[in-house]
Amino acid sequence: MYTEQQLSGLLKHYRISQAEYELIQKQLGRPPKGLEWALYSALWSEHCSYKSSKVHLRKFASKSKRIVSEEGENAGVIDLGEGERVAFKMESHNHPSFIEPYQGAATGVGGILRDIFTMGARPVMLANYLCFGNPKADRMSSLVDGVVKGISGYGNCVGVPTVTGQTEFHTTYDKNILVNALAVGLFRPGEKIFTSGAHGTGNLVVYVGAKTGKDGVHGASMASESFDDKNEKKKPTIQKGDPFFEKLLIESCLEVMSENLVVAIQDMGAAGLTSSSFEMAAKGGISLKMHLDKVPLRDSSMTPEEILLSESQERMLLICEPSQLKRIQSIFSKWDLDAEQIGEIVDTKPGATPTMQLLWHNEVVCEIDPGLLVNQAPKYERAFDTWAYPNRIDKSLTATWPAGSTVQPKDSSAYLLQLFSDYRGTSRNWIYDQYDQRVGARTASDCSNSVGVIRLPDSKRGLGLVLGCRPFWMRTDAAIGAADAVALPSLELAARGFQALAVTDCLNYGNPENKKIMSEFVASVESMAKQCEMLDAPVISGNVSFYNETLGQNITSTPATGVVGIRQSVEGLPASNFKAVGDDIFVLEYACVQTNGRAGEIENLKPVWMGEYNHKGVADFIKLTQILASVKGVHASRVAGQFGLAYTLARMSLSASGAAEGVGAGLGCDVDLTAIVKTKEQLFTEKLYQVVLAVSPEASSELQKIFNSFKPVAADASAGSPVVQLHRVGVVRGDSLKIQISGQPVVQLAVQSLADKYYNSWEKNFEFMA
Amino acid sequence: MKLGVVRFLGTNCDFDVFEAIKEVGLEPEWLWYQDQFQVNDYKALFLPGGFSYGDYLRCGALAARAPIMKSVREAAKKGTPILGICNGFQILCESGLLPGVLVQNSHLRFIDKWVDLNLKNASPFTSATDKKIRLPVAHGEGRYIVEEDEVRRLFDDEQVWLTYGKNPNGSVEDIAGVLSSGKNVAGLMPHPERAMTSWMGGQDGRSFFESLV
Repeated sequence: MYTEQQLSGLLKHYRISQAEYELIQKQLGRPPKGLEWALYSALWSEHCSYKSSKVHLRKFASKSKRIVSEEGENAGVIDLGEGERVAFKMESHNHPSFIEPYQGAATGVGGILRDIFTMGARPVMLANYLCFGNPKADRMSSLVDGVVKGISGYGNCVGVPTVTGQTEFHTTYDKNILVNALAVGLFRPGEKIFTSGAHGTGNLVVYVGAKTGKDGVHGASMASESFDDKNEKKKPTIQKGDPFFEKLLIESCLEVMSENLVVAIQDMGAAGLTSSSFEMAAKGGISLKMHLDKVPLRDSSMTPEEILLSESQERMLLICEPSQLKRIQSIFSKWDLDAEQIGEIVDTKPGATPTMQLLWHNEVVCEIDPGLLVNQAPKYERAFDTWAYPNRIDKSLTATWPAGSTVQPKDSSAYLLQLFSDYRGTSRNWIYDQYDQRVGARTASDCSNSVGVIRLPDSKRGLGLVLGCRPFWMRTDAAIGAADAVALPSLELAARGFQALAVTDCLNYGNPENKKIMSEFVASVESMAKQCEMLDAPVISGNVSFYNETLGQNITSTPATGVVGIRQSVEGLPASNFKAVGDDIFVLEYACVQTNGRAGEIENLKPVWMGEYNHKGVADFIKLTQILASVKGVHASRVAGQFGLAYTLARMSLSASGAAEGVGAGLGCDVDLTAIVKTKEQLFTEKLYQVVLAVSPEASSELQKIFNSFKPVAADASAGSPVVQLHRVGVVRGDSLKIQISGQPVVQLAVQSLADKYYNSWEKNFEFMA
Repeated sequence: MKLGVVRFLGTNCDFDVFEAIKEVGLEPEWLWYQDQFQVNDYKALFLPGGFSYGDYLRCGALAARAPIMKSVREAAKKGTPILGICNGFQILCESGLLPGVLVQNSHLRFIDKWVDLNLKNASPFTSATDKKIRLPVAHGEGRYIVEEDEVRRLFDDEQVWLTYGKNPNGSVEDIAGVLSSGKNVAGLMPHPERAMTSWMGGQDGRSFFESLV
């Protein structure tokens, strides 16, 4: 049917492999023809089919009783009790954001919002996980600027607050940045969850929202390819977003759903009309007839193929009973939007398989079983090795580091100031100030804390959200880094008195056909799944982004996460900075793994580690932290994160809003770390895990009493495994950060000088236009 | 009597203002941009923040020409207290009910933060004067500008309602909010509805609603 030359041209154009072509031939009993090429290209792309990851994602399977809706729907839903439920999901928009940062990031936000409200939940929180390269790398300042402006431009306009975020920098992202957006939606008591499975012969297919244009054609298959140096050419595959349309779409869709006028509904995301219609049909197991010429167009010259593959934004597909069409149209018209009938569900002949019939001016242009494309995509068992902890130097924490391999600043005070002015250690307020963090009037804790919190309008409880995954730990060890991607956010929640409930993930990896990358992928999925199980916080939704590779350079494997937690009230939330003079300072510690930390990496030390990561021990430590942080009188808490304990104490000394706001630079402290840190160099090493608590003197003994009654035991009885310890290290007072070890003062810095560095260094690291 | 809350396409602080009114024990009612209403039915009117019409053309410019503004003008003339917050302030300026205009922040970026403010003059929404309060701002186009001799007149005529402690957007004379010459129409960039209780980070916004009780 095709000459060799024709065939190789088609395979290249549609990004289909020879093996996949043969599989298609087998399915159809003939070579694909016409529109089928485009359909297979889109739906069998890595982006839509998860063909390299599906086998391993099953490891996330969980039977938590809180789960209402599992993966497979647009987002996962969990039950919060008291009638409230939340839907949440995280998604990547890496490739588009690198090509066109403003639109790429903006449409990433738009897409994840649609995944949420298509289920009937009102979006109530947004968060962004960003990884950039070295600020001096080509285009990097403008990428940072464009991405932040894109998120700001879209999120602020639709009126959903951005309550938390995480931003990382490393040279492995120089040519492949990561932009992951997360949205949380709320179902209030009695509100219905909508799904996407189409059903009911005679029911109508209705297209709503923005008109279809040529933007984003072939976007899904573009996102499933590695990058080269000709990315400029890919600009036409980038979608453009309009947040005003999205806002109207949110309100109109929630209104038709609140009146129960909809049988099924699905947003048009990757691969646009193709994926939404085929997935709705396949999920419902029904036959569908669709008139492509009835799709509202921005550009009348569009071909059926372009209409099918367009990724124009702010569009939804819904199924309704014929009698409801008029009411639906009047609601959309109230919101100034079109609702156009473009097809209907038709009978499937007895004994026959369901079909999708595509028509163009009443002529059938394609007829195919949607199940072939949606459910029978290939699944690949990519080659991988069992994880062998390549960078571990010793199982025992008492071992000494190889000579010359620890961070050895001559002057710890000067080194702290240096970290505070480094782009990796300085304030990110420049980013967060550009996001509306309070629209919705539910925000109880904004981006000044890693745990964003809203108050639930009905039960008045606190809903917390944190992002996770530290690329430094992934470079140190993929299995530990992935467990940490769940454990650290859960611990941050616990340190504010929240219980972690469920996880969403966005697994950003390089080329899965590379065995080293696939080994990291498999090791991290298994380790994450184990940590989730120990915490009883299941993964309820997610996204996989492979092929984050440019010219053979893979990104750091980055399994970003979002963890949602609950707290009985939003009153008395511990702050992340010192709040009261005279408070006792404690360090709660369960040190199972130790490294030179991020500071060591900046100093070009090999990313080695000691110890043994204990998933169960960490989960127990997190539970204990939640109990202690809930003691009345715990005014402040912070998990010791990148750059270790000294940096953490310095951060706690600064007031949250910065010296610039005239509320004072912060409160000093006087601490003695002898019990935890043996040498000056260890001030900057990192351990899993340490939590700093600042507690009123009255509550101090209560804290210790509860700690003692918990009778912390080593998670396994073997000798040498770490025990949980609570050290009282000092007190909040004065206007300086003072740290001593074994009677020697090692850090003494005015809080004001720390604030000056921390709050005034960001822009010096970049070349922003304005 | 009810308090009317006006919704335009793209308004996104509508529910927040609605809830804030309920919170102080008053009765809010929705008003839709395409409708008109009986002026005497409402004790006060609120134009909440957001991005009406996606800020197309100029922020507030399209909303200022919506059918409901005919009734709003009538109410303004009659002396009904009218409060425009953020985009609502922009709409009131664009419709000529308040002096001046709001343009893009001097640093060309959206800004979200808590700011210190000075209450300069009394209004139906704030009885106190010479008081310091703290409220959050969240806007990309909040730089208040007005011609030079007009600024002096605004100060002289006690129409300058609020000024910033530390100017976040480049507004002339640190102006954060203004009043109409009749003092019944008020507009401000900060969001009082986001500062109703201590868990929100402050409660200085509460009095803007309580003053109508």
